[in-house]
Amino acid sequence: MAWELLLWLLAFAAVIALIGFSAYQLICLSDLEFDYINPYDSSSRINAVVIPEFVVQGILCILFLLTWHWFPFLIMAPITYYHIKLYMKGKHLIDVTEIFRLLNGEKKYRVIKLAFYCSIFIVVIYRLVTTAVLLLIEEDDQALESGIF
Amino acid sequence: MQPRGKEQANFPGRPTQPFLAAPQSSTPFRSPGPVGGIEVSGPSRAISPFVSSGPMTGLGASGSPQNMSPFLSSGPAIGTQPSSYRAPPPSMRSNGPSSPPTSSFSAQDASIYQQSQALGFPPAPMHPPPPIGQPHMPPSGNFRPQSQIPLVPMGPPPQGSSQLTSMSNMPPPSGSVFSAPRTPPQPLLQGYSNVPQRANVPPFQPDSQFQASRPVPQPLMQVYPAAHVPPIHTSQYHAHQSLVPPPPPVGGPMGFNSREQLQHPLTGPPIGGVQGLVEEFQSLTVGSVPGALDPGVDAKSLPRPLNGDEEPIKLLEMYPFNCHPRFMRLTTHAIPNSQSLLSRWHLPLGAVVHPLAEAPDGEEVPIVNFGPAGIIRCRRCRTYVNPYVTFTDAGRKWRCNLCSLLNDVPGEYYCALDATGRRCDLDQRPELSKGSVEFVASTEYMVRPPMPPLYFFLIDVSVSAVCSGLLEIVAKTIKSCLDDLPGFPRTQIGFITFDSTLHFHNLKSSLTQPQMLVVADLDDVFLPLPDDLLVNLSDSRHVVDAFLDSLPSMFQGTSNVESAFGPALKAAFMVMSQLGGKLLIFQSTLPSLGVGRLRLRGDDLRMYGTDKEHTLRLPEDPFYKQMAAEFTKNQIAVDIYAFSEKYSDIASLGSLAKYTGGQVYHHPSFQTAVHQEKLRYELARNLTRETAWEAVMRIRCGKGVRFTTYHGHFMLRSTDLLALPAVDCDKAFAMQLSLEETLMTTQTVYFQVALLYTSSSGERRIRVHTTAAPVVADLSEMYRQADTGAIVSLLGRLAIENSLSQKLEDARQSLQLKLVKSLKEYRNLYVVQHRLGGRLIFPESLKFLPLYVLSLFKSVALRGGYADSPLDERCAAGYNMMILPISRMLKLIYPGLFRIDENLLKDLKEGQEPLRQLPLSAQSLDPKGVYVLDDGFNFIIWLGRMLSSDLLNNIVGVELASFPDLSRVVVCEHDNEISKRLMRVLKELRAKDPSSYQSCRLWLCRLDSSSIQAITRLVKMVTTTVIVPFFYLAMLASASSNSCLQHME
Repeated sequence: MAWELLLWLLAFAAVIALIGFSAYQLICLSDLEFDYINPYDSSSRINAVVIPEFVVQGILCILFLLTWHWFPFLIMAPITYYHIKLYMKGKHLIDVTEIFRLLNGEKKYRVIKLAFYCSIFIVVIYRLVTTAVLLLIEEDDQALESGIF
Repeated sequence: MQPRGKEQANFPGRPTQPFLAAPQSSTPFRSPGPVGGIEVSGPSRAISPFVSSGPMTGLGASGSPQNMSPFLSSGPAIGTQPSSYRAPPPSMRSNGPSSPPTSSFSAQDASIYQQSQALGFPPAPMHPPPPIGQPHMPPSGNFRPQSQIPLVPMGPPPQGSSQLTSMSNMPPPSGSVFSAPRTPPQPLLQGYSNVPQRANVPPFQPDSQFQASRPVPQPLMQVYPAAHVPPIHTSQYHAHQSLVPPPPPVGGPMGFNSREQLQHPLTGPPIGGVQGLVEEFQSLTVGSVPGALDPGVDAKSLPRPLNGDEEPIKLLEMYPFNCHPRFMRLTTHAIPNSQSLLSRWHLPLGAVVHPLAEAPDGEEVPIVNFGPAGIIRCRRCRTYVNPYVTFTDAGRKWRCNLCSLLNDVPGEYYCALDATGRRCDLDQRPELSKGSVEFVASTEYMVRPPMPPLYFFLIDVSVSAVCSGLLEIVAKTIKSCLDDLPGFPRTQIGFITFDSTLHFHNLKSSLTQPQMLVVADLDDVFLPLPDDLLVNLSDSRHVVDAFLDSLPSMFQGTSNVESAFGPALKAAFMVMSQLGGKLLIFQSTLPSLGVGRLRLRGDDLRMYGTDKEHTLRLPEDPFYKQMAAEFTKNQIAVDIYAFSEKYSDIASLGSLAKYTGGQVYHHPSFQTAVHQEKLRYELARNLTRETAWEAVMRIRCGKGVRFTTYHGHFMLRSTDLLALPAVDCDKAFAMQLSLEETLMTTQTVYFQVALLYTSSSGERRIRVHTTAAPVVADLSEMYRQADTGAIVSLLGRLAIENSLSQKLEDARQSLQLKLVKSLKEYRNLYVVQHRLGGRLIFPESLKFLPLYVLSLFKSVALRGGYADSPLDERCAAGYNMMILPISRMLKLIYPGLFRIDENLLKDLKEGQEPLRQLPLSAQSLDPKGVYVLDDGFNFIIWLGRMLSSDLLNNIVGVELASFPDLSRVVVCEHDNEISKRLMRVLKELRAKDPSSYQSCRLWLCRLDSSSIQAITRLVKMVTTTVIVPFFYLAMLASASSNSCLQHME
């Protein structure tokens, strides 16, 4: 059971990281839109976190698969597939020369992803709490039992 | 003013006095401008620049008739204070009579007039009288019921309505119905005045169309020419009018006259009412079966742009403070006031900007130096001071014309105002009297000291470059240009040559001979020397000379076929990154080594027609885009000269030029004899033309509109800032506008292009072009002010961009759709009033648009599919069309055709009548003639098949029979009179446009088969088809059939 808790704690951290990555990319894009940073900086900052995001997301997805958690895995799988496809096509990085033309699309794409991560976040928190509570209750039960006998 | 004109136009039911009163009241309106005291004219200027513009043009107090309309436009504003500008209409009205002491009469008059309207018509108060744009909304509700009325009282016998009913009830019985409208022109005019309220048009339109055209299309066709139209159907409408007896001199024409002026107050010189109207559009009868060549259609009568591009110079008369149209042209010089209006304008709304266009002598852009005071700019929107700003508060403040913020005038710039509110020093200040000026920028406009002009050459020395003689020509040309490179003595220069290794050249001034340093490590490129790879030209001149002399021989006999282009590019970047400048790349093979190597993806036939087709036209390796971004960041512009006869992936190479403000010169299968002149000229021009370095360009515009997309070779540094590492007079940029507000309240929109650059002399400068355009409420005005050249230029760029993300077919389709929609919309405006049955009508201003759009389809970049042009040529043409200025673009897609055999045979003296341009059609080609086709890049000399062999041999220079392959024949001067004359003709043609040099190809039409066959073969060579009329006709027919919803068979 402790392993379970560890898994959900890990997932919790990973999802928070994913949300962080997405939010950071979004902030970079909107900064660009309002002319706070130039396109070179903006795209290099975004591109720097694209791969980490893909990796974290992929690891999390595999983790769910290996631990036989079907429901979270099925939620994560499509997005992993999408990431792999993007990577294969070489389209995962932002094109600095066309960044202004693609700005709206890229923003939308990241907002949707952010929403997706947030929904996963809710699932993870729920599972984390239930696992923790169950664990505590079990321990209590054990303590109770051991106290009695 | 627009609203008011409309208002009047829409109360024709009233007694005629108000109508007559309108022109009367307009006369006093003119006086307040010059006469009014400061307190009157001051504020009024603040509101409307037209008032201030009036006096400056040198009009007396009486006001000359030409300016009547501009004044009228500001009329209502005159009587109001700036504060009441936004105030509700009632207060305005009460303000009118009281505030202006001298002009009270006129103001009163106007207000009374308006009040009378209000009394007479309950709905009138709903229209706030003057300049505020709101009226358009309420009227649309009111007009509906009333718009019927005009037809009745104005038109003599109720022709209009009866006409419509008769048409809808039965098929046209005979010529009588159709000839009816001939008698009085009133219904025509009436209909015209109705145009803005199109609300009532569409309901009728399909109805009458349907009924009239479907059952008996043929009679329609026959009756029309008989009744109205002289055999040439393209005649202007006013040709019809000439058959018409003059309108009865009752109140009608008077009223119309005044209305005409009022309704289009901004269009300029008041044209005689009828005259102005009848030139409204042109029409063309097209066969009822589209596609088929109707015998009734005379191909000769199709409009053809034989004068090339026509700049809308007339606009300068109306807006004397605008910059010359050579610098900036709007697709329509009338900005729609609402989103809904914009959505009915199916053509692009935008501008084509050519900031460094060459001005003829005497019209150079004046240079203004504000010295330490700094450049006067608006505090909020950073607009530069321009002729449209207004000075108030006795000259202590100025109001920005873009954002209407009141700015302080700095002490050094202060000047008192005269009685009319003009600055007294207006004549001495070009920035206040000219639309284009150049400011000398102070240090605050620099992020680093101004860079010296820098030319860096990256030359491919693999075997193909050496063998074709290319290397020698390049070296010689560069050497001959060294004296003329701009920016002496600061100019910097450097060279890298490459094949499978990189060769750096140490040009240090202390050396007598250049040193070559070879770097073979392609994976990790490094510079063998920290400096001396880039040297000051004047210091190291002798070394550079020695280098260029030895360059051709240095690689003689090489057998290296590889090309390490990517590493060489990186090396060049490392050398240049400190300073920026211009990188000229001479590439004659496909990059094959190191980073950025490209594969022979070639022209895969199977890709065409699939969704992947466009990927062929996109850069394959992201390396090139990344490099382009890096180059722009470091102020490096890249020009590519590509020479490969095989596939060399121009799509990838060209992206370097695309994002750095550069240019692609493509010379496929370079042959020294044929192409050397062209290459020499182009390279020399590239090196010696005045170039603006490390430039940024921004275009600002007034409230309510915004530039959204930009098209050309540049890189966007922020949403509206174009980064241009180097820009020169051969590059133009296009941009599209969008409306931000649903309803614009201003009367005029201002645009200001500002190009901040470093001149070759090392001075930081800002070139500013300012333009004003009126805001209009009706579509017909937009059509009237449309600028075909700008529209075609923008459409072409859009189509090219579409072809990068779609199939060619789709790109063409969307272009055609735009054209058809716009013609249809225009038709909807007029068709009912004029009962134009099966004819296609198009506005005078856009008469060439269908032809140009068709020519775009036939251009190298967009035509056909796989077989019609090689991929490299297609991409190169696409890159080219993205930067061409309007006139050269039009010439490229619709080349000039000249018949020259007379010039060859007779000894015509210089300076005689210029060559006459012929329409590009099969009919113009006479087998006995010699023709030159000039598209601005190439000449094609067409030799008719019945030409005397003597003449032929003289032109070709050798016995023709012994020379079967004409493509290898070089057109050069031979020792005979005819050849000399030919060269003279070509020279004359070349002199017309200094920006490029046309290389020459001969085409001999000596087949015995029909000339059409020969021509179709010619088509493959020529950029634009010569059999345009057939396509043109078919397309017009399809446009017309689409637009009148006729049945397609």
